[in-house]
Parts: sequence; structure tokens; C-alpha cells
Amino acid sequence: MKLTVNGTEHTLDVEPEMPLLWVLRDELKITGPKYGCGIAQCGACTVHVDGSAVRSCSITVGDVDGDVTTIEGLGTPDSLHAVQAAWVAHQVAQCGYCQSGQIMQAASFLDLNSEPTDEDIDNAMSANLCRCGTYPRIREAVKTAAKTLNEA
Amino acid sequence: MKIKAIIAAVLLSTSVVQAEEINLEVPQNVTLEQGLEAWARMYEVVSHPRCSNCHVGESDRPMWSGPSYGKARPHGMNIRAGESRIGVETLECATCHVGSTSDQPHTPPGVDGDWRLAPVEAAWFGRGSLEICGQLRNPETNGGLSFQEIAGHLGHDVVLQFAWKPGGGREPAPYSLEEHASDVLMWGAAGMPCPTE
Amino acid sequence: MGKLRTIGRRAFLIGSAAVVGGVAFGVYAARTPHDNPLIADLGAGEAAFNPWVKIDAETVTLIVPHADIGQGVAHMQAILIAEELDIEPGQYATDFGKPDAAYYNTAFAEEGAPFMSRDESGTAETMRTIVGYATKLLGMQGTGGSTSVADSFTKLRTAGAVARETLKLAASMESGVPVDQLKTANGAVELPDGTQMAYTQLAAKAATIDPVTDVVLRQASEWRLIGKDMLRQDIVDKSTGLQNYGIDLEMDGMVHASVRSNPRQGGAINGYDATAAKAMRGVKAVLSVTNGFAVVADNTWRAFQAVNAIEADWGKAPYPAEQAEHWKVLSESFTDELLDDEWRHDGDVPAGLEGGEVVSAEYRAPYVAHAPLEPLNAIVVVTNTQADIWTGHQMPRFVEDYIAKMTGLDVANVHLHNQYSGGSFGHRLEFEQIRYATEIAMQMKDTPVKLTFTREEDFAHDFPRQIAMGRGAAVISGDTIETLDLSICSASPLASQGPRAGLPVPPGPDMQIVSGAWNMPYKIDNLRVRGFRAPELAPVSSWRSVGASHAGFFGESFVDEAILAAGLDPMEARIAMCDYDVARKCLEAVAEMSNWGSPLGENRGRGVAFVSSFGTPVAEVVEVTMTEDGIKIDKVFVAADVGQVVDPINFDNHVKGGVIWGLGHAMNSEITYADGMAEQSNYHDAEGMRLYQTPEITVMGLENQTKIRGIGEPPVPPAAPALANAIFAATGQRLREMPFNKFIDFV
Repeated sequence: MKLTVNGTEHTLDVEPEMPLLWVLRDELKITGPKYGCGIAQCGACTVHVDGSAVRSCSITVGDVDGDVTTIEGLGTPDSLHAVQAAWVAHQVAQCGYCQSGQIMQAASFLDLNSEPTDEDIDNAMSANLCRCGTYPRIREAVKTAAKTLNEA
Repeated sequence: MKIKAIIAAVLLSTSVVQAEEINLEVPQNVTLEQGLEAWARMYEVVSHPRCSNCHVGESDRPMWSGPSYGKARPHGMNIRAGESRIGVETLECATCHVGSTSDQPHTPPGVDGDWRLAPVEAAWFGRGSLEICGQLRNPETNGGLSFQEIAGHLGHDVVLQFAWKPGGGREPAPYSLEEHASDVLMWGAAGMPCPTE
Repeated sequence: MGKLRTIGRRAFLIGSAAVVGGVAFGVYAARTPHDNPLIADLGAGEAAFNPWVKIDAETVTLIVPHADIGQGVAHMQAILIAEELDIEPGQYATDFGKPDAAYYNTAFAEEGAPFMSRDESGTAETMRTIVGYATKLLGMQGTGGSTSVADSFTKLRTAGAVARETLKLAASMESGVPVDQLKTANGAVELPDGTQMAYTQLAAKAATIDPVTDVVLRQASEWRLIGKDMLRQDIVDKSTGLQNYGIDLEMDGMVHASVRSNPRQGGAINGYDATAAKAMRGVKAVLSVTNGFAVVADNTWRAFQAVNAIEADWGKAPYPAEQAEHWKVLSESFTDELLDDEWRHDGDVPAGLEGGEVVSAEYRAPYVAHAPLEPLNAIVVVTNTQADIWTGHQMPRFVEDYIAKMTGLDVANVHLHNQYSGGSFGHRLEFEQIRYATEIAMQMKDTPVKLTFTREEDFAHDFPRQIAMGRGAAVISGDTIETLDLSICSASPLASQGPRAGLPVPPGPDMQIVSGAWNMPYKIDNLRVRGFRAPELAPVSSWRSVGASHAGFFGESFVDEAILAAGLDPMEARIAMCDYDVARKCLEAVAEMSNWGSPLGENRGRGVAFVSSFGTPVAEVVEVTMTEDGIKIDKVFVAADVGQVVDPINFDNHVKGGVIWGLGHAMNSEITYADGMAEQSNYHDAEGMRLYQTPEITVMGLENQTKIRGIGEPPVPPAAPALANAIFAATGQRLREMPFNKFIDFV
């Protein structure tokens, strides 16, 4: 089985029913996507498949039919994606465990809708759980990222 | 605007995959009584949570209800299907409802197609037998379909088939896809009768 | 009631440990410093000035021994050292260090002594000093009770100053320039001619001299870092997926394990059939562990799948099987025999209750899971001579003791490598993942075993927040609350928790049963607060803000009801009754921030609550609207007094997080038992707050109190009563039991 992650093609010998999350974490050692709930209730495992946000715990690797991007492929400290830069500027993270997923969700959402209203943000970002309660900063960071992306 | 373009693209792309073969032969000599009995079974299906939870009418909020819930409530996490009915304005249904359904309880079910809400006109959630029956036989509210076409769409619209194969320990809709289709045909052959009370 | 009389019979509660009054702790031993744990590992040319600062030719390393469970404590500790060391963020590395007695928590004593935190009398301070000696002798390195800043504030600045002065002395010896002509900045000593001598260059010389310990700390006006906006050191890594948590670690030859133990906590396993599991791909072994079994595989998911494929016969729960029985036990525990302590009795309450019509109410707080987003996990490798563990834990030395006992190894040969944690909220005070990972590793010696709990196992084997019940009775005369009597009953979280940590059940009463209620800052003629200790039910544990999470709700809800019964305004009446200046300023601040008293319009309401926990007074105002679909929480205003805000941005983030924690669980979260098992298994039925429900939160940090306090927990307790009080104001419906969504919908 072939899988392209962050631009690199990998050959895998795994069951097709293994969730993408565990292929990334345990087989490819890409640990940015986190295990939080395993049932798409928390969003910590969010990655992009051909640019769209997907909960990697809830899609089997056999069902993946596009290129996968994880937080590691979105941007790096030297070259932050606009969403990551906004997350740094607003110092969103506390424990940080959900933030890879929050950032991947926000990046995909802003790609679909670059001028979100407050209600759009509420609708797009409420399936990502943050137990530390960093939501006020997530809201602000999404707005800042949208502004940056629109100016680009 | 970007969103609009995407919605249009989504609505144009009808995914027809893994369609099930359904016998669309219309039964002959169906009595009114048999037609009403068929409708009664149909109503059991359409009012079942596996169906009605996504036939929410004007609302764009899928419902969580059924035997394991204390009371019906909108899908958690503030999920909105939007004008597109697939959530593309903000959060696509397919972000979680993607690929095949897992047997693990409480996992998001998926089908080999777009997970989505039913059209606004097909509003069933919380509605009674008479009301839904009236909607289903009225071309203005049933998508302009004949009863044969209604039965036919059960076979090729894969998201509907989930109702009988919900996985994860969920209670399936009553009867079977085939029985439901054959009830639609029987009801149609009897002249799409609705209960008087 | 006289304080001195009660001290004799009270134990000194120190976190979850107890030292009975009779333990011999001489002043000599208590004053002798612990050895510096950095010395033993120093290489040539490396200097360790004290347990917190280590410098070699390349790197300045600041040791930050408090566990970073998301509160940013690694950053905070380093900043305090850097302030005096004259080094800038980015110029130093941080390290959690090895667990060591030298890192004992000096602030556990503040809440460990049985006095209100506002009590700065000689007796209270003396007792805190004595309890402090005990924590030192025990080498209680720990993170909890919102103590990290209090523990660190003076100690770590001093550590920085000692290092700085020693480096200056070294520079003086090298350059011949007198110390008083040297300056320090940016990690270097500067000579009068402008020459820079980097600390790293001076390490070799500094290693040969005794540290200069006679230092004077700088005045607040001289601070460059403390109290200023700054970038938390972990923010970039946590925004790019680069932050590693315990669950992300990988070792050579590592295997992946998952466990299932009896979902009836503490119940036995009568047998299991692993035939199918053993045949599954990647499964290396199925092992028996205490009350359950473990699967070892080559991949986490395969281990999860195999665990699910095993059928087991589980024994009964060692506590009532049904939730209703738990409540029944509590309701029957308000008896003289189970009176834990009468914590406060001003005036004469029994006489006061005879004197008029009694207003009464009963409240409930449910069990609640901690459920930090990173599920419990640990990597353990056990050899014949040594054990190593990689996990995030709040009590590092207890972990080493725990594994030493399990393995029979000398504790000196057990090493915890503490990790950044994806949240804790008290969950990482427990030992479940450590026990099971070690049990597996002992059966697979020399192999690193990574144990990952499924989310479902994490829920099933959480030790939730204690359930509690409160009963209030008040007598109103005209517009005055003359008498207020509050009785609170719960199982003791400390009594449940202690033995699991290998400690004795703390003797004496448990202040957590009444925490946040007995210290209400109100002058009422007859005021009594009593704690009743229910028999142990389901095992429970410390949950962010511990006892104040229930007692604060009961106290501030009932005070609100009494104020309304007297026909008074909830804010004005609280301010008028308040006899503690620091608290009153918090109330006055939120009154002004929220424009209290201004009209809100139809179906809207405001509620206020004030709770002081862990020494930090916090007042909150919540504004709600009753919409067609239910309650919407619009705004929250918070004023909290910690004496000194160290990192204003993180403070703001933390207060908001605490409010969201308090509101979210009050809205919709509980653990209930049926057939001895928790009925909630994952976040779908214990949601907490989501982004769309999050109100606009405005935070003000006050600095009126003389002591330095923490902020991790104190914003939690006022949130639930302020919400209930606001809902009453908006709807007339009084909510006396959490979670509130059993009685009212939230949008």
C-alpha cells in the first residue's frame, strides 16, 4: 500500500482497516496528530487529505484516496503557516495537546471560507475539544489568520 | 464568492457508488387496505431515528435521538450542515463521517458517498404519519418524484442504506431496504393513500 | 472555637500526605539544605550553583522541577531564575531535572495547615512553618494545590541571584576587575571596558569556587521580565506539532501495550478468554495484570483491537453498584457520628435557627472525570538492576517509590524521566498507568513497554471528583441574614487518594470537604460551616480545585438564596457583608467591570459568586440569556488576586481556562454508576464546554494581597454558582444540582 504524507511517498504493510492516525503515529512515527478519543469527538487527530480536514482516527488507511498533510507539513518554526503564526501571536496553547488538530481544522476551514463571521467560526471549530479552555484565544487567532490570508 | 462555487460543485456531483439492486416491479391489484398497511410500515421506517435524525427540514442541524438518548437533541459539537447540506460552508460532514462505518460504538458512521442531510422539503423529524404521507405524495414536496422513482432512489442513494446497516451497536431502521422499497411500490400501486386520522 | 485546642488533634495535611504531630523533625534537620542533585553528574568544567542552575561551556540550563501539565510552569520557573540571572528567554535551555528531595515544595504548607489562608496570625504562620519543615524532610517534590508560583517566587529568584553573583566573582578572578565594577546582562558579565564574558565561558572557573550565597533580590521596580508580556517558551513547539508528550516517545525495541481492567473500579477478574486475541496480527503477548489483562503488540491500534477481542468475567464492584445508592449514603451521612469537623462557628447558630422562619435548600455535586486530552500512558523498562519510566506526573518522587516497591529495586535505581503532559487536572496525581506499565515491564524484562490507555479505559479508570451534598438553613430578619448554617457531606478525596499513593489515610478531618465554603468572607451574626464525612464509595481523587469545586457551589448558591430571601441585591449584599478587604476589592472590581445593576433586558440575568481557594480570592459575574432553545452564556467578568502576576498573558489564558472548566462541567458533565460501572465512556457523554458555548470573558488580575498565590485552580469554584445565580436571575429557576443540563437546556 502506498501513502503520501507531507510530500513523501511511503510503502506500507498494514491492514487497510487500520485508522490513518495509527499508521501516521506508530508506523511512520509522525506524532503531530494526537490520539485523544478515537471516535471523532475531540479533533486532536485532524489532518488534511487533499486539503480537506479529516479526523485521522475515523478514516481507515484503506479509504484514504489523496495526499495527506499533517501539522508537520503545514509549516515549521522557520516557515510558519498563517494559522500557526496567529496561534503563536495569540499564545493560544496551554497544554497544547489539542492544538495540532485545532490548527489543521482552522487551516482547512479558512481555505474554504476566508472571511468567516463569528458564527462561522463557532460552527467550524466546535468539534475540536480543548480541555484547557483556550477557546477565547482560538477565536481571536482564527480571525487574525483570516486577515493575514486575505492580505496575502 | 468561494463558498458558493463549492456548493454548486457539490450539488452537481452526484456520487453513485455501490448501488444496490432493487426490484422495481410494481405490484398489481393492490387494495386500499394493503396500501395503507404498506404506508404504516413505511412510517415506522421514516420516523425511525436512523432516518428522521437527518430529515430535519428547514433546520440544518442533524439530530441525536433514539432509544439510548434521554431526549432528542441536536447533534453535539454545534454541527451545522449549512445550505449545502454537507457542511461545506464551515465544517464538512465528511470531516468525521468518512469512509466505512466502524463497529466500535459511538464512532461516526460513514458510507461510500457524501454524508449529508436530506433536502429541506423532506422534513420528517418529529412529524406525524399523516403529515409525512401528505408530503411524500405531493410532487411539490417530494422532489417531483413518482413513487417508482422514490423506490428507485433507495437503491442508488447510498447514504440511505446506512439506516439498515448502522453499525456500532446502533438500532437499525425496521424491516429491510428491500422490504421498504417494496412497501413504497405497494403504497404507490394503491394510489399513495394516506390515513384519514 | 479556639484554634489552639483543635490543632493538637488535627493532623497536618500536606497535599495528599500526612505527618502526625508526633513525628520527630528537629529544627537542625529541617534547616539543613538538601544536597544539590546536580553535583553528582557534573562533568569537568560544568558548574552547578544550586539545584536550579547548571552551566557548561555551551549551555546555560535552568532546572524547572515542577511538572508542566499545560499551565506553563516550565516557562514561569525559568523566568524567575532568568530575572535575577540576567539572561534572556531564548538564551537558556530548560530541563525538568531528576526527581529529588531538594525540589520539595515549600508552598504545600500554606494550605496544609488548618487555617484560613487569610489568617496571618502568629499561630497560623508558626504552624505553616512547622508543616513546611515536614514537607522538606519528606522531600515532597510535587505540583498541585496551585502552589507552583508560591513555591518558586523567592526560591528561584534567589537561585538566579546566587548564580549571577558567583559568575561575577569568577569573572572578577579571571579579569582582575573588582566585582562591584561588573555588570550582567544577556547571559554575560560585562567589564567596564565593554568586554563581554559569557556565562558559558565562565563555567569552568565558577566550578572551582564556592557559590556566593549572600545576595539581595531586586525590587519590583527593577524587574525586566516579571509582570511583563512575554512569549511562553513552549508556544512555537505547541503550534507546530513539535512538542513531544509522553505518548509521543519512541525507544529502540519498544513494544506497544494496552490494558483492560475491571470496569467496576477495584473489582476482581474471574477469568478471561484470549484465544482470539492471541491469533490477531501483531499481538506478541496477552498478560495478566491486577484486576485485568494486557495485550502487548507491535502497534498501539493492534493492541487496542486485541483488547477489545477478549471476553472477561468481571467481579463485583467494592462499592454500591447503582448511583442512587451513592446519593442515599450521602443523604444519610449528616449525623453526629460522621461529623468530620465544625470548621467555623460564629455566634450561636442553634439558637439563631430557633429564632425565626428558616429558609432551607439542598444541593448536589456529582462525580466528574478529569479526562485530560492526552490519555494516560507511560513507557517503562525494567532490568534486573534498574527501572526507568517516561511519563508525565505531578509527584515525581512518589512514582519512583511506587516502582521501587513494585519491583523490589532500590529507589536509587529507579528513574522517572518526567514529560510534558497533555493536561492533568489532577489525573496525573494517580498511579494507574505506572502500575500497569510496570506490571507488564516486569513480565518482559529489558524491553521498553509503552502503555497507552484507550480513552474508554481512561474514563473507566479515572478516579473522579468526589460527589457531595450540601444543606443550607438560614434565618432572615428584615433585610438581614441573621443566621446561616451550612452542612456539607462528601467522601474524603484525600482518604481515598492517600493509600493509592502508598501513604496512610490522613488522620483528622479533611478540610477539602468544606474548602471554599468555611472561609466565606462574610460577617453574619450566626454562621456555622460543618463537614460530614461519608463512608468511602467509589474511589475519588483531586479534581481541579478539589473540595472547593463542590463546597464553593453550595456556599455561594445558598448565600445567594439567603440574600434574595432578605430582599437584597446579590452584589451589594455581598460587598456589605464582606469583612476581608482583599475579597471585597475583587467583588467591587467585577461589579464595576460588569456594570452591575445596569438593565439587561428581557430574559437576561446576571449572577455573582465569590470563592477563595488555595489562598486566591476570585469573584466572577456571569451574564446569561434565556433563548427559545435554552440558556446562552453571554459574558463572564473575573477579578482574582494573586499578589503578583508573573506572566500576564498566561495568567489571562489560565483564568479563562479555569472559568471554562468550571462552567463546562457545571453545564453537562458527570460520572454516574450503573451495575458498578461508569456509564460515561468518552467525550460524547461528558462534553465539557465547546467553542460555540464559550462566553466573552474579561479578566482582571489584582495585586492587593501580601502573599504570592497561584491561579491554576481558583477561577474554577466561583463559575458554577455564578452561573446558577445568573440562571435564577434570568428565569426564576433555581438550579441546586450539577450538571445543570439535567434541568435546563443550553444552546
